[in-house]
Amino acid sequence: MLELGAQIAADYEGREPVLVASLKASVVFVSDLARALPLVHALDFVELAGYGAQHETGGSKRIRLLKDLDADIAGRDVLIVEDVVDTGLTMHYLCKTFRLRNPASLAIVTLLDRPYRRLVDDLPVRYVGFTVPDELFVGYGFDLDERFRSLPDLHVLKHAGET
Amino acid sequence: MGRETPTFQAFCGAETPRFQNDAELECAKVLDYYGVPWEYEPRTFVLEEDEAGRVVEAFTPDFYLPEQDLYVEITVMKQSLVTRKNRKLRKLRERYPDIKIKLFYKRDIERLAQRFRLDLVS
Repeated sequence: MLELGAQIAADYEGREPVLVASLKASVVFVSDLARALPLVHALDFVELAGYGAQHETGGSKRIRLLKDLDADIAGRDVLIVEDVVDTGLTMHYLCKTFRLRNPASLAIVTLLDRPYRRLVDDLPVRYVGFTVPDELFVGYGFDLDERFRSLPDLHVLKHAGET
Repeated sequence: MGRETPTFQAFCGAETPRFQNDAELECAKVLDYYGVPWEYEPRTFVLEEDEAGRVVEAFTPDFYLPEQDLYVEITVMKQSLVTRKNRKLRKLRERYPDIKIKLFYKRDIERLAQRFRLDLVS
């Protein structure tokens, strides 16, 4: 975390970036990252409607923001803070949405990365904590049906029935 | 009972897709949900011809994402049982080195759709 903070601070020296985290999985990561970033910066949050929840409740069949940014990001340096970048579909949507608001710059910092699963490649993923194998995680903000988020460390999950 | 055929918004092909299985349908729904333009089986790649030039092996990837210039093949087989499909993909990559293609397993789609039954193991 300190390494990420130092790297971002060096790259954004003299600027005041906005860290934008998506609720809820990124909360723990952004909390630690913000405190490890020796640079004046702002914090903001968005929340996206989850794919599964939308279909189960018969709601909208297109991704949308349940909670939008509080701040105007026009002319600001925006750093999207994500728990994991996988297919890149969610980041693709967020980047597309934010670019319409004319930020000065847009980059992604992710705790975990699975680049080999990417469907959308043209993403500004600039800072990566760890490139991880194709496993599912809980803890440190990652959940399973809203459980285990508060575990202090990351734990690997496996499918029921797997040995 | 036939497979459902929802109205897709990000589908940019000519003909109504006729999916082979539920994993393909789920993948189409996910792409549509995220607004990523997609086509279904738009191109067949010749993998092998006999001496007379007749096609003896070909491969038609399930999806094409034009904005990403990427083909996506979905398999419902277990990861350990995809040797034949992997061999086809390898042939395709050898014969068409400029073509980008990714193999997605059923469980990848299930993950995207957040439909898991998982145990905490470590």
